Amino acid sequence: MSTLHAHSDFARAILHVYGIITWTTALIGVLVFVVLGIIIVRFRARPGDTELPSQTRGHTVLEIGWTIGPALALLIIAIPTIQIVFRTQTAATPPDSLQVTVRGLQWWWEFRYPQLEVVTANELHLPAGRRVALRLDGPDVIHSFWVPGLGGKRDVIPGRLNQITLVPEGPGEYWGQCAEFCGASHANMGMRVVVQPPEEFDRWVAQQKAEPGEPAGAAATGKTIFAGSACVGCHTIRGVSAGVLGPDLTHFGSRSRLAAGMWPNTPQNVAEWVKDPQRLKPGVKMPTLGLSDEQATAVAAYLTGLK
Amino acid sequence: MATHEAALRTHDAAHARAAEGSGVLAWLTTVDHKRIGILYGSTAFAFLLIGGLEALLIRTQLLRPHMGVVSAQTYNALFTMHGTTMIFLAVMPLNAAFFNYIVPLMIGARDVAFPRLNALSYWIFLAGALFLNASFLVGTPPDAGWFGYANLTTRPFSPGPNVDFWLLSLQVLGASSVIAAVNFIVTILNMRAPGMTLMRMPLFVWMTLVTQFLIVLAFPSVTVGLIFLMFDRFLGTHFYDVAAGGDLHLWQHLFWIFGHPEVYILILPAFGIVSEVLPTFSRKPLFGAPVVIYSGVLIGFFGFGVWSHHMFAVGMGPVADAAFSIATMLIAVPTGVKIFNWLATMWGGRIRPTVAFHYAAGLVALFTIGGLSGVMHASPPVDLQQHDSYFVVAHMHYVLIGGSLIGIFAGLYYWWPKMTGRMLDERLGRLQFWLVVLGFNVAFFPQHFLGALGMPRRIYTYGVGSGWELWNLVSSVGAYVLGIGVLLFVLIAARSLRSGPRAPADPWDARTLEWRTSSPPPVHDFDAIPPVYGRDSFWREKYGDARGRKPAPRPETPDPHGIHLPSPSFWPVVIALGIGTAAVGALLHTALVVIGAGITVVGAFAFALQHHRDPAHVVQIGNLGVDHRKLAMWVFLGSECFFFGTLIATYIAYKGRSVVGPLPHEILNIPLTTLSTFDLLMSSLLMVLALAAVQRDDRAQSRLWLAGTALFGLIFLGFQAYEFTHFVHEGLTLQSNLFGSTFFVLTGFHGGHVTLGVLWLLALLVLDLRGRLAVSDSIKVEVAALYWHFVDIVWIVIFTLVYLLP
Repeated sequence: MSTLHAHSDFARAILHVYGIITWTTALIGVLVFVVLGIIIVRFRARPGDTELPSQTRGHTVLEIGWTIGPALALLIIAIPTIQIVFRTQTAATPPDSLQVTVRGLQWWWEFRYPQLEVVTANELHLPAGRRVALRLDGPDVIHSFWVPGLGGKRDVIPGRLNQITLVPEGPGEYWGQCAEFCGASHANMGMRVVVQPPEEFDRWVAQQKAEPGEPAGAAATGKTIFAGSACVGCHTIRGVSAGVLGPDLTHFGSRSRLAAGMWPNTPQNVAEWVKDPQRLKPGVKMPTLGLSDEQATAVAAYLTGLK
Repeated sequence: MATHEAALRTHDAAHARAAEGSGVLAWLTTVDHKRIGILYGSTAFAFLLIGGLEALLIRTQLLRPHMGVVSAQTYNALFTMHGTTMIFLAVMPLNAAFFNYIVPLMIGARDVAFPRLNALSYWIFLAGALFLNASFLVGTPPDAGWFGYANLTTRPFSPGPNVDFWLLSLQVLGASSVIAAVNFIVTILNMRAPGMTLMRMPLFVWMTLVTQFLIVLAFPSVTVGLIFLMFDRFLGTHFYDVAAGGDLHLWQHLFWIFGHPEVYILILPAFGIVSEVLPTFSRKPLFGAPVVIYSGVLIGFFGFGVWSHHMFAVGMGPVADAAFSIATMLIAVPTGVKIFNWLATMWGGRIRPTVAFHYAAGLVALFTIGGLSGVMHASPPVDLQQHDSYFVVAHMHYVLIGGSLIGIFAGLYYWWPKMTGRMLDERLGRLQFWLVVLGFNVAFFPQHFLGALGMPRRIYTYGVGSGWELWNLVSSVGAYVLGIGVLLFVLIAARSLRSGPRAPADPWDARTLEWRTSSPPPVHDFDAIPPVYGRDSFWREKYGDARGRKPAPRPETPDPHGIHLPSPSFWPVVIALGIGTAAVGALLHTALVVIGAGITVVGAFAFALQHHRDPAHVVQIGNLGVDHRKLAMWVFLGSECFFFGTLIATYIAYKGRSVVGPLPHEILNIPLTTLSTFDLLMSSLLMVLALAAVQRDDRAQSRLWLAGTALFGLIFLGFQAYEFTHFVHEGLTLQSNLFGSTFFVLTGFHGGHVTLGVLWLLALLVLDLRGRLAVSDSIKVEVAALYWHFVDIVWIVIFTLVYLLP
């Protein structure tokens, strides 16, 4: 998730200016350090040296020089900066782009694909090589969508629609995290971004649109517990419940991480989670349901089976 | 060196006031700028240690992945309190310690313009600081960040009293800063020794002056932002309520219009210190002094036009991003000019590498790193990758530790002998310097890498395999070393106070006036106001100008008014106590707010009466040819312009955004308000008549017109009371919609100002009726009149923009 490896046109444009600025400023820094070093070695008073140095009060040409010099150096930085500011920020959504509505909530991410009628959470799938318009919106407090490998961050501000457009390059998996402090579990608001070849992405879409299979064994018990408990008030599982406050769990089992990126999505971890989410994720809105170990295991079996 | 010795002679002035007492009471009531400086310095250093402890807890939690040293909530409280403490309770008051102790000495004054007001600033600061930290004692420390972004800070998302502690104490601390700033602006502009022209003022005085202007003009914006937040949280207004049409950019703009100048408020004093220390230990004048002054002024000026570079990620659009980016880059020019001039100052010098010099040169190096990383995120695209990452944490600490704190240490080592009369241990000091500098770099340089590796700020934990493990470990180790370095200073200071060698008046062979009096200075600073021969006047007395020509010694003219020092006062403590009580009351019970406000008002009246009976200075007219009090009022009104400007701008920005009625055009009664506007305008006319009557000692008329002005003010308030009641009946309250919130807060604060003005006029009237308002007191009426006219003008603007504009 380094900011120094670009995996989209947006990130690449940023990295271009980043490089120019880093080298320009580093050069100036080295210059100052060398001069300071020379001064400290060369002009240190020697013992018994009581003579006053020449009382120079200033030098007009020098002053003009070191005013204009840095101003010119700034031009080297400013010109590509301004070009890229205008190139990477478009108000309109490109018509042929894949639109994803990114909703930041305390403390998880929801991704809606209005053109594809797919809703998922905490794991964003994107097709490689296609322009994507991420439309950022949120219902509670300010968050910030940041996937360093794919480019710069943009705040998710309730009441204001922000947008990032980018073309992800080549398949890969990238880690992202909320970058604007948003309360107790700000640290636990991660996401995985999976960039796939177009065919693979299409398969993923098809899978997300399909109804989840009917569970059997312990998972069936889990489904009964889920359907009969407070879970349904907040979560959607198509065909079972229609809650909107928490993540859509219809294809929960297809996601590789749990609780906005905190742990691997294994039945054991899910069981721990549903038993006491508060302990694992401070401040989380999900209540402790008072499930027994067996019930938690059954629910976990059901949820992780929702591929 | 005979003249040198004579120049340093002091203490034996027959008319010097007896030494001050040393008991607790003497310190509680002191108005001596030197003692207030020591109070500021010692309090602030204690908070520096507390803020440092918070930092070390943060670094311990981040030492390894998944540490459980503190909970998420505690961690959030720690970084909130660390930021707030370091900025408002450590660095600002440490700077204030130097302003207080050193600035009057540097300009050859016996005290500040308003010594009692100066004490008031300190005690209010202490009240705010204690109140903020009391949140720990009751277990609800603020936990929404020092920047307190709304709407996270509004009641629905932060229900506890945590944020209340933060927003109340910030307002109290802001009041303290603005009062002090007005005081120092007047002091510097008006109380310079004869011959000390503006361009001869030492750089530290110049940077202090710029800093005070920044405080006066920047604080109103955040004050208004905090008032909105307070009203949202306590009274149910909708300033930061998205559902009611509120815009969350509002807080960010209000906060950063203050927040960016605040960066310069923190750093410019350090620039001033370095500009004193480097010449002294290079034994050369500051290179290009006028250019260094102008660049400092320019930094302050540009500092107001760059706030939105904190908001490149919020989506302001490419035009705003580009404009703020270029403005931000421009600031690098005057900053670079300073660095180059400091280098040129040292170049060709005979450098005596004292600890103070180490720190000053350290600032040149470390601030350069912080300044250059600042240039990096002046570029919006780059900032989008660095913003809210550890890269910014690194940048900001290179500026605030590498700049401010290192500069403060330079000042401490430099002026300690002057302030205490004792020398510090140079050998241990050098060790302390290297611990601080090495610890600091090990702690913060790796944070650049963490940011580049994508580590966000303000996360209490991180996972194994994130790639952040190594640099976090290194950073934490560095932080411990830095902590040891800072603590070592306490030891060095204690040793010096106990058994340090006595400091002579001028231990460093320095250049400015503070070294011309004893160490520590007598209570009245100088026996005779020192002569000023030019820039670096004291150096000229000792060594002459660039060609060694010494000025003809000018006889020290004894002060024609004798040495007059203001008497101690306990009213500042009382007022601060009242403000503290009111703040506590806001969290406990309204009755306590009323009691606190009562104490504050009574204290303020007593304070003003004390000034009336026993003014701090015999002569109040200063270098600018203006009375101190009048100048202070002008500066204060400048601040008020920004205060009302912000309120009015918010009203306009929110106009038409209300999602429910009643709306302005349905409810505003223009004919009636025209009448009340006319009434208020007429009161200004009466005010002019009252002042003229006082000036020509016409008692009957002065009483008539003072009473008349107050009466017209009361009539205006009556109109307002009627209007408000009518609106409430029509269904418009603070809570009904954005229009109600913005309208009542704007006009309400104006009404509050009118009320204060009426009370002031009535107080003057009472003085007049008791025969205590002589012609010589007409300046007091004039200052009140300035305020009154200002309040009237503000109303005309409000009337035009709120009532008349469709």
